[in-house]
Amino acid sequence: MRMLARRLSLYVVTAWVAITVNFLLPRLMPGNPVQTLIGKMTGQITPQQVQAIRLAFGMDLNQNLWDQYMGYWHQLLLGNLGVSITLSTPVATVLASAVPWTVGLIGVSTILSFIIGTFAGALLGWFRGSRLDSIIPVATFFQAVPYFFLGTVVLLVFGSNLHWFPVLGAYSPSVTPGMHWDFVLSLIRYGQLPVITIVLSSIAGWMLGMRNMMITMIAEDFVLMAVAKGLPRRKVIMHAARNAVLPSVANLSLAIGLVVSGALLVELVFNYPGVGNLLLQAVQNEDYPLIQGIFLIITMTVLGANLLADVLYFILDPRTRTEAAV
Amino acid sequence: MSAVRLPRSPKVLVGAGIVGFFVILTVVGPWLAPDNPSATIFPPNLTPSASHWLGTTTLGQDIFSQLLVGARATMVVALVAGVVATIFSMTVGVAAGYLGGKTDDGLSLLSNVFLAIPGLPLLIVIDSYLPAGGRSNAFAIGLIISLTGWAWGARVLRAQTMSLRNRDFVEAARIIGESRRRIMLFEIAPNLLPVLASSLLFTILYSIGAYVTLAYVGLTSTAVWNWGTMMFWAQANNAPLANEWYWFVPPGICIALIGTGLALMNFGIDEFINPRLRAAGLSSKVRRASGLPRRPRLGYTPVARSALRTSPTTTKIGVR
Amino acid sequence: MEETITPDAINAENDTVLDIENFSVDYGWGENAVRAVNNVTLSVRRSRVLGVAGESGSGKSTLVYAVTRLLRSPGVIAGGNARLTFDDPSASDSKRRTVDLMAATSRELRSIRWSQLSIVLQSALNALNPVLRIGHEFDEVLKAHRSGMNKAQRRERATELLGMVGLNDDRLARFPHELSGGQRQRIMIALALALDPQLVIMDEPTTALDVVTQREIINELAQLRARFGFSMIFITHDLSLLVELADDIAVMYAGNVVEWAPATDLYTAPRHPYTLGLLNSSPPLSGERRELVGIAGSPPDLSQPLSGCSFHARCPYALERCATDVPELRVLDQTGRKVACWLHDTPAMVPAPLRRELATAQPHPQVSDPVTGEEVAQ
Repeated sequence: MRMLARRLSLYVVTAWVAITVNFLLPRLMPGNPVQTLIGKMTGQITPQQVQAIRLAFGMDLNQNLWDQYMGYWHQLLLGNLGVSITLSTPVATVLASAVPWTVGLIGVSTILSFIIGTFAGALLGWFRGSRLDSIIPVATFFQAVPYFFLGTVVLLVFGSNLHWFPVLGAYSPSVTPGMHWDFVLSLIRYGQLPVITIVLSSIAGWMLGMRNMMITMIAEDFVLMAVAKGLPRRKVIMHAARNAVLPSVANLSLAIGLVVSGALLVELVFNYPGVGNLLLQAVQNEDYPLIQGIFLIITMTVLGANLLADVLYFILDPRTRTEAAV
Repeated sequence: MSAVRLPRSPKVLVGAGIVGFFVILTVVGPWLAPDNPSATIFPPNLTPSASHWLGTTTLGQDIFSQLLVGARATMVVALVAGVVATIFSMTVGVAAGYLGGKTDDGLSLLSNVFLAIPGLPLLIVIDSYLPAGGRSNAFAIGLIISLTGWAWGARVLRAQTMSLRNRDFVEAARIIGESRRRIMLFEIAPNLLPVLASSLLFTILYSIGAYVTLAYVGLTSTAVWNWGTMMFWAQANNAPLANEWYWFVPPGICIALIGTGLALMNFGIDEFINPRLRAAGLSSKVRRASGLPRRPRLGYTPVARSALRTSPTTTKIGVR
Repeated sequence: MEETITPDAINAENDTVLDIENFSVDYGWGENAVRAVNNVTLSVRRSRVLGVAGESGSGKSTLVYAVTRLLRSPGVIAGGNARLTFDDPSASDSKRRTVDLMAATSRELRSIRWSQLSIVLQSALNALNPVLRIGHEFDEVLKAHRSGMNKAQRRERATELLGMVGLNDDRLARFPHELSGGQRQRIMIALALALDPQLVIMDEPTTALDVVTQREIINELAQLRARFGFSMIFITHDLSLLVELADDIAVMYAGNVVEWAPATDLYTAPRHPYTLGLLNSSPPLSGERRELVGIAGSPPDLSQPLSGCSFHARCPYALERCATDVPELRVLDQTGRKVACWLHDTPAMVPAPLRRELATAQPHPQVSDPVTGEEVAQ
């Protein structure tokens, strides 16, 4: 239990750091967004309007930094992330419609990638020296390809040329979203290519990590014992794999951030309506409130996912659960 | 571990070859480029030909020249970011691992926080506040990338330092009364080399990805040619959908090749650090002669029939 | 210690469970091969304990792991045979069946393993899977070899087995790290007996334990063996431990068996200089304290070619020929004990410590001090 409590406190600190960085960045960086915005509109707006913009950004010149910081927290706790400049909609509202897409896409891809990669890695480790080893350089290559590049190639080959999959968007425009089969099937059909892209890009890490751990585990006595017990090969592999998977799960919480980073760009390639796509639009439009809101929501989601991964580790490794030896 | 010998497996050699090739390209690429990459002096949308190996852009720029020139910025930023991040992770990791106690708690917390914050979104946020001058400065971009890329290495180095700390030779140096700084610099640091090298390779790999991604999103100066900018323009002009593969595929392949090369080199380091990963060196000739299986199988120790009749005095099996 | 099996050496001589013949093991292949076990011939009698003793690196563990085909890469069996003889449970007329372990298919090996041949390792903490409950270890062994048993029966059997080693069945729900070293090793022993095997291999099972626990476990093992009559190979570097438990002892040095004799004979009247050295360097079983003397020098580097007797460089009685000629393990006298030593070719030249009279045929625990040859009061 102490392990979980420690991780939780780490995430609380991380969340605080992310929020504070988010607060400080626009105030410290040379390209102050309020100045930029005001500069763009010079002559068109009254000083009252300038002050209104400053207030909206929480950057009232009459307040010191600490009061601004407190005000920022106050707004944050009320769920107020400001208003998107380009969309003229509260950032929270914009995010609410985008977040489920991203969580769904990246969540499904990461789970698939982890399961397939771990399974393949276990076999690669066990059958080391066999012909299966030739998969390693191929997997390494896919790992080195940027997600967005692989996405583009996959889109071009399987979507545009072979027409195996629909290419852009999250579901068919002819289907009305709702809780019915047509919509679910459409979601799956449109989701295939982005999911394949993310899985292909991220699978090598799980696979190679698991392979190395399997090789390390095979040298352990309890695996030899499993053979000595005359267990079927499948069971012997399970003995090793059950332990080898623990570092992978421990790394899961670290890797989620990396996967999310890469996967956000896949949304752009496939025009998927998630936060990744939104973030890049916001960057191009210099929509700072939106950029900041997206950064916050991504960080919080990743921290949540980390916590889930930690709980999984807690469940899988009995040694973390023991309070005291008998 | 005075002499660091990397295993000369084919993997490592191929990896080093690929990386070496691109390092040379970084130096000579801009001189080799046949044309000015920015000059819009050719007919637009040419397909690959003898005069334009990779065709031209919609603006009539030579794509092959862009690829050659772009190598330098990509590699320089990656190298700056990789080296800076590795120095940072080494400082933090070694200090945390060696000093322990409160220092360790603080530094570990710092690196864990940086690990938990997703790197790319942070990078995008910071970069979006950079003025135009900063975005075209390779060192500024490299520094920002290193800020998001050091934590993983620090974690690994900390673990390795902690395990080194308790070894006999470090203990001995402590008893002799050597200063902490001396112990860290001369006793611990050299033994961290393999882990450090591995960390450097990974950070460079990460930095290439991060830089190219920033460029692809349009957050670096479009005046500086790098492989990400090439893909940015290709995407902006719908090259993928127009089937102009020669525009966006070559930079992507280059990135993937460097990444593969770095990862292959890292396999060698992994095998150096963890001897269990080393393949048993058995040539197929010896194997056949002894009637041994291709792959050692746990729980079925091979029986070499060819060596059955050796006299009790010989300690080596003769392979005939 | 109770002894219910009467020693009947002549009858038991041909009734063996495991026969090892001219067995050699290498580490590595081809040019780089290092011979770790050299031309060893040994056998384990039915319902008896063979002790295998030697310093670390003597090849005692390598031999046993290679015979069971459990030796890890780069170990290679370079030659020889090993046969396991057991009562075939599938045959109705309880016929003896012999399996050539070197020629067995993976399927045959799998069916023999644990059901006829089980093993207990030095460290139970490493031998038990850290993420599985103790109950699972029992369950999977019974599941793999006793497909007829249902869940309740398996659980009942596991409880019974734990009871045999004095543990309560609440241990079944525990993880290895929640138990003490002694409990873990008891569980390993119970697990090894789960399928009533013919032969149990103990690879230094008590080395990692404290002396008191070590003693308890040795006593329990002796009782269990008396009760169930399985054969046992007990590997250790501690000769005095073996005398209590073993019927026969084989002493190994640099990959060779240098002496193989009934336990009491070997302990009271060693015939090989190395055995004598080992006895002098381990504390006596009981009786007066005496000064311990180590063996000068260190075991030979097996990667270098050896000539003559592997022990000649450290042997205080070495003859000229010991440096060049390899002594074979030969029958020494009418008791059938064997020794590989040139000294015994010329009885007159055997030094006094290697000429000690046998203690009159009495079963142990009556033993005598190896140095003075005097009987020690119990």
